[in-house]
Amino acid sequence: MATIATSLNIATQRAVITSKRQPARLACPVRLNNPWNLGSRTTNRLVSFRPVKATPEGVISDKVEKSIKDAEETCAGDPVSGECVAAWDEVEELSAAASHARDKKKDSDPLEEYCKDNPETNECRTYDN
Amino acid sequence: MAVSTIYSTQALNSTHFLTSSPSSSTSKQVFFYRRHQSQTNRRFNTIITCAAQQTVVIGLAADSGCGKSTFMRRLTSVFGGAAEPPKGGNPDSNTLISDMTTVICLDDYHSLDRTGRKEKGVTALDPRANDFDLMYEQVKALKSGIAVEKPIYNHVTGLLDAPELIQPPKILVIEGLHPMFDERVRDLLDFSIYLDISNEVKFAWKIQRDMAERGHSLESIKASIEARKPDFDAFIDPQKQYADAVIEVLPTQLIPDDNEGKVLRVRLIMKEGVKYFSPVYLFDEGSTISWIPCGRKLTCSYPGIKFNYEPDTYFDHEVSVLEMDGQFDRLDELIYVESHLSNLSTKFYGEVTQQMLKHADFPGSNNGTGLFQTIVGLKIRDLYEQLIANKATAPAEVAKA
Repeated sequence: MATIATSLNIATQRAVITSKRQPARLACPVRLNNPWNLGSRTTNRLVSFRPVKATPEGVISDKVEKSIKDAEETCAGDPVSGECVAAWDEVEELSAAASHARDKKKDSDPLEEYCKDNPETNECRTYDN
Repeated sequence: MAVSTIYSTQALNSTHFLTSSPSSSTSKQVFFYRRHQSQTNRRFNTIITCAAQQTVVIGLAADSGCGKSTFMRRLTSVFGGAAEPPKGGNPDSNTLISDMTTVICLDDYHSLDRTGRKEKGVTALDPRANDFDLMYEQVKALKSGIAVEKPIYNHVTGLLDAPELIQPPKILVIEGLHPMFDERVRDLLDFSIYLDISNEVKFAWKIQRDMAERGHSLESIKASIEARKPDFDAFIDPQKQYADAVIEVLPTQLIPDDNEGKVLRVRLIMKEGVKYFSPVYLFDEGSTISWIPCGRKLTCSYPGIKFNYEPDTYFDHEVSVLEMDGQFDRLDELIYVESHLSNLSTKFYGEVTQQMLKHADFPGSNNGTGLFQTIVGLKIRDLYEQLIANKATAPAEVAKA
């Protein structure tokens, strides 16, 4: 059991370190770093901002978390009932969906995704002859 | 299922053309006819209609989180091409389409959506949550070459979305929890596979998958597995007796008291006597062999590799069991092992190794799970080719008569 616990600790550490946030969406006008007007910039109060919408796997992660809480509550009452079992089944289903979304995101390349739907645009043309 | 109809021209004496076709638009019609039928000879003029497409149906059963997706990717890769969701359709569709194969997820045939199941207190494993009649109708239609409107079960929202159109493919794979549960669907399958993961390994895999999710803890993962176990044992597990091939994954026997679950012992249980399927064997078919390839010619690192091959009985069927315990570290171990296995249905030497290397990033690529999944993929390709060849020769034989 000790080895499992330590390997889990390592796993969670890794998870914390490598989890990335999505690049934030721009909610303010673009600022250009032109040297001739750097000095006249106003203060950077508006620069820090948060993402406007939750990303898809953020949505699923929230659902997983919520479903685990629900399942624990339902099962606190009666551990053998159908509702409890159905609640844990929902947790399993959402965890599987979250893991698939993670895998899909890992493989996906934004340019390839775009070109799949728009092969005739300039960026996506291939000249194979 | 041969879809060939032969008409004698006694009924079609004129020079009419047959324009309508009862089968799908992809069928080809071959006309052989003679203008003037002579009265005296007894030869018939025949018109032979053959559908160009014969759909082969494969069933894959496994619990959630047990490697069905990985298996699907390996299988579609053996046939060539990448499998992708249908373009322009629902982005949450579970269907995968490539040139030759279409993979249908049986979760789409849930009759109760997530809220419905919660109200009734049933899991997705329970047959009451699935519409087997619709499953049977649609698989039968696809097998006969008719396109269907298949419902979509959205795993993110837990609702049943609007149906999508599925064209009949050359190879149809139905994967999910209950492909072999219903007897009528079972009879439609040309080949069936069951992934049997032992409890310890399942626990280790689910920990690996879910620990990165916030909200999950060791207790919640354990509780989830425990809660689903009764339904799983009652409804899903019995399907393994009907499978033509079972891939059983167990903890290793090479490392005493191993609890990491990294090294696996994988058994490929192949039913004897299945049409078009010849089991893989080691050295001598039907004998019992125990083989450790590591030695003078091949050096392996700890814990090494061990193979076993033997005939056995499994749920009252004759089977051959090929077992691998251990891990591959290097390419030459893999090719060495491949060169000693027989009846792999490869088209060239080293095909298994090449397929394994192509997907070296998939889970299980260094142990028996990847190896046996790849081998089963090649066996399915062989089965498909034999079935097609058989159906092509059958009408010719009837015409001769």
